[in-house]
Parts: sequence; C-alpha cells; structure tokens
Amino acid sequence: MADPQEPIIRFDHASFGFPGLIALDDISLTIHEGEFVGVIGPNGSGKTTLCRAVLGLLAPIEGHLHIFDCACDELRCHHRAMIGYLPQKGVVDRNFPVTVLETVMMGRYGALGLFKRPGKHDHDIALEALDQVGMVTYKDSALGQLSGGQQQRVFIARALAQQPKVLILDEPTTGLDITTQHNVIELVQHLHAELKLTILLITHDINMIRSKVDRFVLLKTKLFAAGPPSEVLKPDILHQVYGKDLVITENDLVIVEDYHHHH
Amino acid sequence: MLDLLAYDFMQRSLLAAAMVGGLCSIIGVFVVLRGLAFVGAGTSHAAFAGVALGYLLGWPPLLLAIVFGLATVWITGWMEEQGRMKLDVSIGILYTATMALGILFIGLMKSYNAEVYGYLFGSVLSVTPDELHIIGALGILVLGLIVVFSKELYFIAFDQEMAEASGVPARQIYFLLLTLVALTVVVSLKTVGAILVFAMILIPASTAYQLTHSLRTLTLYSAMIGISTSVAGVLISALWDIPSGPAIVLLATSIFFISVFFSPKRVKRTQMSHVH
Repeated sequence: MADPQEPIIRFDHASFGFPGLIALDDISLTIHEGEFVGVIGPNGSGKTTLCRAVLGLLAPIEGHLHIFDCACDELRCHHRAMIGYLPQKGVVDRNFPVTVLETVMMGRYGALGLFKRPGKHDHDIALEALDQVGMVTYKDSALGQLSGGQQQRVFIARALAQQPKVLILDEPTTGLDITTQHNVIELVQHLHAELKLTILLITHDINMIRSKVDRFVLLKTKLFAAGPPSEVLKPDILHQVYGKDLVITENDLVIVEDYHHHH
Repeated sequence: MLDLLAYDFMQRSLLAAAMVGGLCSIIGVFVVLRGLAFVGAGTSHAAFAGVALGYLLGWPPLLLAIVFGLATVWITGWMEEQGRMKLDVSIGILYTATMALGILFIGLMKSYNAEVYGYLFGSVLSVTPDELHIIGALGILVLGLIVVFSKELYFIAFDQEMAEASGVPARQIYFLLLTLVALTVVVSLKTVGAILVFAMILIPASTAYQLTHSLRTLTLYSAMIGISTSVAGVLISALWDIPSGPAIVLLATSIFFISVFFSPKRVKRTQMSHVH
C-alpha cells in the first residue's frame, strides 16, 4: 500500500520490563513512515508494552529505541506529542463531567506545552479532528452520554488533534458490537490513507485487519515474525505462538482463543 | 444584620470565608475528579499536628502546618508512585499517625491552649488582620498556579497516563496538585478547622458535579457554591450565635443533597434505564 519511506521507529536489540520480569526481549524492528502495522500475539505477549515503549512511557533496559530522528533511550522526549494514542477502553468514568470538545482539546495540550493557552487555532484543529471522525455535531455533548463506538471516535479525534505522525491504537474494537467494530477499522483505514499516518494497531482480531494492514508484527515476549500478512499468518508460525489456542478454519479464518478479561 | 456588617471583625470573617470558600471549592474540582478525597482529609490532620507543634515550641503554627501538610502529600504521592501501597492505605496510616502526633503535642503543653482548638474546629469570627493577609497571600499563590497550569491539571484529572503519553509532564503536575491541596488545607485551617476543611473541599465540587457535563462550567459552579455557602454560613453563625465551621459545612451539605435530588444526570440515568 504505502511506499516504505524513512524509518520512523527503530528497535535495536531492545528489551523492556524489569530485571527478572522481561516483557519484551531483544526486539529488533523497523517501522517506516506511512506503514499500517498490525500488532498481534497472545495475552501477556508484550503488545501493550511495545506501544508504551513507542509512546516513551518506558525506557529500554537493554538495547536502543529510536523514534523519528531521536534516540529515545531516555524518557520525556519532546517527540511524544507527535504520537497519537488510543488507550484500551474501559478507563472512562461515564459520569465524568467533560464535553466532547473539551476531551478533544486535551489532545492539543501536550503539543502546546506548558504556559501556553489554547487559542482559536487549537479550537479549529480540534473541530477538524472531530470532523474527520464524523463527530462534529456532538461537540457539546457529554462524553459519558455517547455510545462505546462514538466514544472511541472521540478518543481517536483527541489523538488526531495532536496532529501526530504516528497513531497507536490499543485494541480499539474490544467491547464494541460487530458493525461498530468494522466502522472503527474503516475509519482507521481512512485516516491512514487520507492523513498518511503511520499506524500501529494492536488487536486480537486478526481476521478483521488482515486485508487492511501492510505488515503484521507477531509477538510473544520475543518478536516471532514481522512481515506481510501472507508471510506471518502461516499455520506453523501461528501454532508456535498460540499453541492449542489456535484454530484455523477451512476458509482460512484464523481463530484465536481470547482469554482477555475485561474489568 | 446590617449592624453586624459594620464591625471590623465581621468584615474580616466574611472576607476570609469568601476567600477560603472559593479556594477550597476550586481545588476541590481537581480533588474530586482525580479521586484524591482521602488525601485532603489526611493532609488536614497532618497540618493540625504542625499547628500543635508550633504552639508547643513557640514557633509560627502556620509555617509548621505547611511543612507537615507538604511532607504528608509528598510522601503519599511518592508511595503511590512506587506502587508499594495503595493510596488509601498509606494515607490512612499517615492520617492517624499525624493525628496521634497532634494529640501528643497538645498533651505535652503545660497549659490549656484555646487557640489550638480554634484550628481544630475553626473560628472564622476570630480571624486577625495578620491571618487575613496570610490567607490572602497563600490564596493568590494557589489560585495563580491553578490558572497557569489549568489545562494540565484538567488533563491529569481526566486521565493521567494519557496526559503523560501525549507529552504533558504529568508526574510533576500531579505533585503540583498535591502541593496545592496541602497549601489550601493550611490556608483554611483557621476558618473552618482541620476536621471540617475536608468538607469544604469536597462538597462544592461534588454538588457542581451533579449539575453539569462540562469541566469549565463545573469549576465555575463549584466556586459559586463554595463562596456563597461560606459567606452565608458565617452570617448564620453570627446571627444565631452558633459555631461558624458547622454552619458552613451543614449549609453546603444541605445544598449537596438538594443537587443530588434535582440532578439532570439523575433524570437522564433514570430515563436511560427505562429504555434498556
């Protein structure tokens, strides 16, 4: 799909976690600008750790991690605002008194920096982000009153308001009904094409995104495979990672037993 | 009632009540949203221990209250960050330990000291001009910092990890918030007392929470409720000759229950539960 251009994220023999509890071990992986990457693997395989590392919330305990042109071995990198993030669902208090527009404006705060007040320019960016996810008519609604799918769109808009180069989505479809799941994935695909965003999408649902991604990254503490879907989604590789939890049906659907517990 | 307003002490009390009411209700927005209610309670008892030590040693009580208050919030914040202990457990321990210290310091005093009890139960009607200046100066400092860092404070109250991920120095802002809570408690000690200051922080914001879906409106409503109940509480206290702290807190509590009853959120929830 997109032309592989500049390397935008580069893991170089990087390990994350604590000594004695390694979440990701010796990862070497290069992600190029404009790529759509699906991050897959069983529960506890380090998918979320990979995202947190790219976000600069975790420093490598060994090896290096370069993001953009900068060695982000130390935390608190100024590039953070250039990475939009949709965290796993289920953290929002439904009664939290915040409007849709106020939520999206928060996406501007990191980019603005301390001591600067959001102005009309930021307001326009927030409205445009809401427009991109089709939620601009809800700008004055209470966030808590929206449906799960609508809330996901608002949070994607908040990430877009950062005007990011990279968008990281951590299981964006979990807990949504099937139609809404497809709508969210279509929106992500649209943003990838339209805004030339580099996308890292974590998911359990391999089938839903296999025709959309440029590459899959298959994790289980170590990096098991990284490549186009046709290369990664091979029965022998998948069996190695998922073991008995994997079922491959006749029409090539990959079914992975999901032990994910929702709180 | 107009006769009352002619007295200097009455003017000072009303001014002190308005300032403390406004300050507590604005910091209260962040305390309620970030889930720091218990931290406020713990800090007020720690600050009281500082006051008691001040009287015991003959040092400035408010200065020691600030030291004790800041030490408590910073220790709890640090313990939470280390993940060694849940916030409510560490605050629960410090809460009772500092109260024990306070009682110990009072016990060590050679004579009965009524002023110390003023800090425990609040005596807004006896606020001196000097104390009013201290309240004013600290109040301006706290409000100024809230205004300067408001967008970051709102963001960490909503979702601290998300704030950090998008480049806000969330950890520093969280410690700033804890510091502001401690300073607010100290400012309020003389007016409403260590036991009741907690209510002044929680009630206006919780009342406003029932009435709006917007962060900005929430802050505005909270400040309006905080200032008006404090001023009205002082007037009631003077008119009916009852203690000012309980007058303010009980008035605010009544308004809280009224707001819960008439909350638009409550109406919407009931309607929604009918749909499903």
